[in-house]
Amino acid sequence: MIDLSLNEVETLSTKAARGAGFSWGLAEDIGRAARRIAVEDENWGVAMLNLAEHAQSFEPPSPARAARWRSDETDLATGRPLCPIRTAALLLDEPVPASALPLPILDVGLPVWLDAMLRRSEMRVAGRVGLATRADVVIERRAETEQPATGRRGAIDERTLAALNSFAARTYVPESERSRVRGAGGGRVDDE
Amino acid sequence: MTAIALRPPEVVMRLQRLGAAHPTRLSFLRQLIRRATREKWRVRKHLFDLDDNGFGRAVYAVETPARIYSLVAFSTPLADENRSDRVIAQAWDTSYVLYDGLPDAAEIARLEANAPRQEAGRYTSRELVLARANKSVRLFEEVATALAQGQQPDEEQLLGVGYLLRTTAVYGNGKFGIADRDEISSRPELAGSFQAEMLTVWLIRSFTFDLVDHIARRRNPVGAARLAPDLRRALGVGNATGLGMAPFLVRHPLLTHSWFLARETALARVRAEPRAGAAERDAFSNALADLRQRVARWHSDDSRQAAATRILAADLGALAENLDQLLAKPRPWDAVYRFAEGHFSLEGQEACVSLILEPHGALIDELGDTMKADETPGHIVDGGMDCGSLHQALLDCYSWARAIDFTEPAANARFWYVSAEKLEPRLGERFEEDGAELEQPLATVRDALGLAAALAREPASASVADFLLRRPEWRHAVRRAQIVAKFPYAEIHDNLIGAELRPVDILRAKLAFFGARSFDPRSDRWLRIALFSGEPLIEDVATMAGEAA
Repeated sequence: MIDLSLNEVETLSTKAARGAGFSWGLAEDIGRAARRIAVEDENWGVAMLNLAEHAQSFEPPSPARAARWRSDETDLATGRPLCPIRTAALLLDEPVPASALPLPILDVGLPVWLDAMLRRSEMRVAGRVGLATRADVVIERRAETEQPATGRRGAIDERTLAALNSFAARTYVPESERSRVRGAGGGRVDDE
Repeated sequence: MTAIALRPPEVVMRLQRLGAAHPTRLSFLRQLIRRATREKWRVRKHLFDLDDNGFGRAVYAVETPARIYSLVAFSTPLADENRSDRVIAQAWDTSYVLYDGLPDAAEIARLEANAPRQEAGRYTSRELVLARANKSVRLFEEVATALAQGQQPDEEQLLGVGYLLRTTAVYGNGKFGIADRDEISSRPELAGSFQAEMLTVWLIRSFTFDLVDHIARRRNPVGAARLAPDLRRALGVGNATGLGMAPFLVRHPLLTHSWFLARETALARVRAEPRAGAAERDAFSNALADLRQRVARWHSDDSRQAAATRILAADLGALAENLDQLLAKPRPWDAVYRFAEGHFSLEGQEACVSLILEPHGALIDELGDTMKADETPGHIVDGGMDCGSLHQALLDCYSWARAIDFTEPAANARFWYVSAEKLEPRLGERFEEDGAELEQPLATVRDALGLAAALAREPASASVADFLLRRPEWRHAVRRAQIVAKFPYAEIHDNLIGAELRPVDILRAKLAFFGARSFDPRSDRWLRIALFSGEPLIEDVATMAGEAA
């Protein structure tokens, strides 16, 4: 196992999320949420890899479905799992009215991410979601938002780390010869 | 007392002015020196185990009221051809960690197996900062030779360079496994911006002097001289900084806002003072004389900087000539600033800001405590806002950018990317190099204007949350727009992907907040600076009276 700092967890997760196809803005949210998972759960790396690998199989909530949540109507699943990130982003950006909570949402992909994303708000996923691939969940209110944790690290095994690094590497560009020459910090040997 | 308005972001946040920034008494190394002096921090050499050539290990322990921190230094042989300022170097003359506590022998051995390898090593939460530095080879050797002959080195030559070693990276906040910033942000002595990094560099400075003294003494145990105290105080630590640092100000908008807001608030406070007391006049005159001396020694092969430095020297001469009559006016410091604004180059104006702040510690130093920020609040997207309001906010905040036409190749000439080889930020030429589809989200103005155009096509009453549900690709730009609407100094008011961009302007602004001097651009994308030159030595603060810094 390799012990990552939480900043490394966040940076790697943001890049891997972007490499898996999430927009930059959502990738930033994912990086922060990964940090929250790492604080509490040994399996943050597996959770992150699951998200990167399944990113393309989820669907976002449709505007019609989001409207049903807000108006306290019964949720309707579509057959494809809901994207936990897009769902959480919507709920965070414009929280449903208090009267709509607790809010049952059907067939959420990787609900651990919905929970981790919501943890910076006054909402959470009821019960323990673990590493389920997809599940029906209930969003409920909670009293306090989470404070940043200290003294925590993000342990990860080498295989998972390598897999996440290969998602992150999709965001990198091979340096051109021109860029190598112009560089970021000169090209010459110190002569002074 | 009538308030003076803060200089607005459209003045302060332009790249040309950022590229003329000067350190002030609010700069981070000055904040650190003030605290260390006030709290009488004590430094002792816990270990100094170097061979005749100066290779080995040393530990400097700093006792602060609550905790001990240690600089663990390693000095290793390095072939001349491997000595490079570039971040892609793989070996260095010296390497360092700032250690949380006092390391035992096992910990020193662990660090010795890693720190000289820098990024290739692995670190723990006991390490707060990781750094390395190379010798200024010719100068270091000349100083060692002179000292070994029982003589002091040539002062002008020494101060012309300004340092014996130059750091090429100082890493904090969790890099390569070291402690996260969250681990130290509640400790008063390290809570401010970059205090752990500044402490590391301050300790490295003392190590460089002890290193050269040690080598001279081993060459001539009986007759070697010790580097004179006044030279030690005049010298700093060099630093080479490249593109890697450039995105920082963009990626930390709330922090950036807090830095500039503090400095501009300080300036407005001082300008509003009704009169200048004798002590303030004296302090100003001393600071002006000191700066003129530094400017006379400020050397750069960069023709733009050399020209700017020459004009700065003339500006400071004009300031000295006019000082008495300016200070005789009502609101004398405002008169000084307005004189600079009317007559001086940007370099001269920003130097004047620094000088005006210098005598006014009692009035402004507490603003240093505000120069930090948790970026978390900026992360929240207000999706309840309607698209019409966000569109209007963008037009208001980016009105200065209206003239930029991103369909013009020159406006869209560059793209920021992360290099596969070194995982460092780089700047590419969009129309000449591959990889623009992997652009980093640093094209702030282009994206803001693009978002405004996308919002213009939405119903004004539609919520931002609904817009983002359909258009998640704009999420980063929405987040930024909402930050900039609330925190006006959060945004650089220039195009960061234009053909005319000089990244060194961004670097200089950040380095000036650190307290850097002697800016020496080596290209449009990296520069050398000096830190701590002319400042007290850390081993002297325990016995210094008052708050000299």
